[in-house]
Amino acid sequence: MTARAVEGWTLQPLTDFVREASVRLVLLMTPAGQVLAQFGFSRALDVMSAAALGAAIMASTGELARQLRQAPFAALNHQGQRHGIFLSSLATERGAVVVLAVYDLDVSSLGLVQLFFEQMAEELRAASPKQVSKQVLAEDFERELSESLNTLFGR
Amino acid sequence: MSLVNFTTREITCKIVYYGPGRSGKTTNLHYVYGRVPQSRRGRMVSLATQTDRTLFFDFLPIDLGQISGFTTRFQLYTVPGQVYYNATRRLVLQGADGVVFVADSQARQLDENLESLQNLQSNLLEHGVDVRAMPLVMQHNKQDLPRELILTPAELDDALNFRSVPSFAADALHGQGVFETLKAISELVLKKLSAGSAA
Repeated sequence: MTARAVEGWTLQPLTDFVREASVRLVLLMTPAGQVLAQFGFSRALDVMSAAALGAAIMASTGELARQLRQAPFAALNHQGQRHGIFLSSLATERGAVVVLAVYDLDVSSLGLVQLFFEQMAEELRAASPKQVSKQVLAEDFERELSESLNTLFGR
Repeated sequence: MSLVNFTTREITCKIVYYGPGRSGKTTNLHYVYGRVPQSRRGRMVSLATQTDRTLFFDFLPIDLGQISGFTTRFQLYTVPGQVYYNATRRLVLQGADGVVFVADSQARQLDENLESLQNLQSNLLEHGVDVRAMPLVMQHNKQDLPRELILTPAELDDALNFRSVPSFAADALHGQGVFETLKAISELVLKKLSAGSAA
């Protein structure tokens, strides 16, 4: 199983976290649910569903914290019979990053995940670029967009 | 906000279907889900009540394929239309790249449509977004209902479409206007992205 990053600077911290904390699945995403990096998922489209749900949990607990007039909850943990889910977020130069990790209770633990999450957070903060360079998309973008939409929708 | 990565050549955009309760937002996604090939869509996730009313959102990821060498994916969301779910509606709007406003064409629902449009504007403002800067498409749904119950697309445009954005008559249950709407918002979102990238 390999890690995959849409934003390259997230890859090494993610790989270290997977190895050290022995987690089964990990997603790094924006608060809106856009995937930045992943480990353990097979289909890109399934990753999106998990990211949408993880981001929604963070958003709704953040809103509850706001209504309670307190700082956002630092982390959330759901423990099942065989797996645990850990959710947290951190601030980087590129904006907030939400982390969702799924771990097997027989090979890892909440304590281990929390410990190495802090390490990954430090690494991500150090690695995040301050600015993203804009590059021009291809000139024939609009024509190809129209063709792709027609193909997808069978028109 | 859309995610564009020039190294891995991937584009991911978020489109939100907005509108009053029972206007047909979830029905739009169900139709798209049923018609797009399985290899080009992910699972449809619905966080709904026991009576199938949307509680938090519906979510459907679709793969548009390669556009100018970019793997392009859209994330389609709906919001709960009922008035008292405004907190969750606002959360779903976060980071949206485009909005489809699904209006209920029934004459008696006109006030609900207007209220929902105003709510869209106010929730976008809470995220620091001016509705005039947001790619927006309108869909006048339920045009299949008896004529005496509904307003015509022209009447609905007069009442709701203040910005003269693209609008489509639809019968989402049977698919009429669904893909036309999605195609229009896709084009608006990606054209804005393309223009922004070139700026």
